Amino acid sequence: MLLQILANALALGAAYALLALGFVLILNATGAVNFAHGDMVMAGGYVAIAMGSVLQLPGALLLPLVVAVMALLGFVFSWFAYFPLKNRPPVSVFISTIALGIIFQNSANAIYGAAPRKGPPLLSEGNFGMGGITIGAQALGIVVVAIVLIVAQHLLLNRSGIGRKLRATAQDREMAEAVGIRVNRMIALTFALGSALAGAAGLMLSNTFFITPTDGTNYVIKAYIAVTIGGWGSLSGAVCGALIIALFEVLFPSLPLLIPPLKIIAPWLFTQTASTILLYVGLLAIMFFRPQGLFGETVQRRV
Amino acid sequence: MKVSDMRRNNRRRDNCIGLLVATALVACPLAASAQAELNLPILVPITGFLSLEGTSQRNGALLAIKNAPSSVKITAEVTDTGSSPEGAVTALERSLSRGKVSAVAASMLGTQMLAMLPVALENKVPLATVSGTADITEKNNPYVFRFFPGDAVAKGAHVRYVLEELKKKRVALVYQTTAYGQSGRKHIVELLKKSGIEPVMEEALDVAVKDMSAVIGKVQAARPDVIMLHLHGGPSALFIKQAGAAKVNLPIVAGSGMSQPTTVALMEPAELKGLCAETNAAPVAGGSPQMDKFLAQYRAEFKSEPDGFAVGQYDATSMIIDVVAKGAKTPEDIRKALSGGSFKGLAMTYKSDGKGNMAHSAVIICYDGKTRMPKIVKRYD
Repeated sequence: MLLQILANALALGAAYALLALGFVLILNATGAVNFAHGDMVMAGGYVAIAMGSVLQLPGALLLPLVVAVMALLGFVFSWFAYFPLKNRPPVSVFISTIALGIIFQNSANAIYGAAPRKGPPLLSEGNFGMGGITIGAQALGIVVVAIVLIVAQHLLLNRSGIGRKLRATAQDREMAEAVGIRVNRMIALTFALGSALAGAAGLMLSNTFFITPTDGTNYVIKAYIAVTIGGWGSLSGAVCGALIIALFEVLFPSLPLLIPPLKIIAPWLFTQTASTILLYVGLLAIMFFRPQGLFGETVQRRV
Repeated sequence: MKVSDMRRNNRRRDNCIGLLVATALVACPLAASAQAELNLPILVPITGFLSLEGTSQRNGALLAIKNAPSSVKITAEVTDTGSSPEGAVTALERSLSRGKVSAVAASMLGTQMLAMLPVALENKVPLATVSGTADITEKNNPYVFRFFPGDAVAKGAHVRYVLEELKKKRVALVYQTTAYGQSGRKHIVELLKKSGIEPVMEEALDVAVKDMSAVIGKVQAARPDVIMLHLHGGPSALFIKQAGAAKVNLPIVAGSGMSQPTTVALMEPAELKGLCAETNAAPVAGGSPQMDKFLAQYRAEFKSEPDGFAVGQYDATSMIIDVVAKGAKTPEDIRKALSGGSFKGLAMTYKSDGKGNMAHSAVIICYDGKTRMPKIVKRYD
């Protein structure tokens, strides 16, 4: 039972981790919160549905195409939402990302309608047993793809020249510019990278949990919370924060199944509603007592 | 010309003018009655989590307007209320400020209806909705008319089918945390209690919950013999899909969300096997020449499948058009006609119970696991 619950939480947390990573990349590069990041997840889901219906390929083969399209969309997005306003107060960028997010939502509604849609599965939608637990092929695929993308993103940032430039831009834009790094190009690249990760999350979530034009709002809140819990600006913290959210959504309300006396002592505490309340209480506690987040440092390494 | 001739000619001219004026005076009211006017704003959620149902409402209302007799001149502007109560109130106030509103095709979202009710009462404008939330007709507001079975009717059918047809006693109940969900849960629990049954397990889900494995685990642990769902369309589909993956082999009787073709389209036919749901009507299943005609017209017009909400709002709008065609001129006339009259619509015959509940029938549909086409298995009038 515990393994089954952990497997479900891990699959959900892996998808949340991808969207939180993209969110924190853009946050670090620009210093601004991208409120349209959840809508990028939604857009990734619809791009996957559109490509899947035309190409008739499974999600695993569509993934590189979706990632490429979303990277391009992220690049274009930066030229509308960020660059024209980069010298204005940060609130201007917040507002512009909200505006573009609403444009995305309404465009998706106009093109696809309001009904939920289902994206293509990564390989198949079947289940298989393993050590007494049933794991969905899609859930396993999400975990594998998320690990591959997180490792790839880690290698890109830490083992490549472009990664060093991206990190330098995130740490100190003026100094990066002074040493000859094309800062605008790096920021646009960060938007592309962040949106590509969001698109990958969108492809995978759209099959497991369907997708509607308004789902982005819910996803950006998850990303925001993950980053706040994990540590504002910390990449590993964002991944840990995403996993903590998934544990709250899946493991916490399941505790009476693992520890039956809890069902008698406080059944009201282990409902889905109570676990949501507790997650946000925990978030407030972290903000009060450890504002740098659970895994953040006073001086953080950015991007 | 002699003076006498001139006077005679003038008298003839005056007589002619008099005749023309008299004819005009008689003809004008006739022309007015031939072109009765109806200003019917359509204020529904086109975006937000109930956008699917809101779009069905809009389509149903627009189709009824398209089929209206030429004797009624209709002005109908569609406004998106989003999913917030203030969005609905703002939309209503804006419509009222723009001119004389005869009646309103109003949001099916219960919280929006509850917010709009005082405004409708203050401005004396009837609201015609397909909201299932029980509370909207419990506020002693004479300006609300519900053309969809309220919880008392729909949940009555839901519970009766479980107890009388399936003969199940151990009920697990999963419902939504929204006003719709809570109101339905209250009725289900009360009706079960009347039969001496307490649910063996019940839990509420927020519409944002995607992974339902925790609640599915609890359902299994409670060992029910039936699962009753009272969730919106998308969450219903997610629950049924995830329950299937967790090998939960129990009959599921869902709320009206699972009667929506767009929700059913998310699932493979095999995943629907044994699933039943309550609703007001199942237009895709046809059933009468009028319903078949509606189905064909809806598909041609909107390139999508109609659901029970579309039929309900079609019937609501058709009844309003009918009472205006029959002479109701003011919002008060329309309110009185809706309160006192009856109307044979596509889904059923509508008549107010004195509180504005117009729909008193519900059906249970089931899927055979081979197609996505439901069959009506039981009708409760």
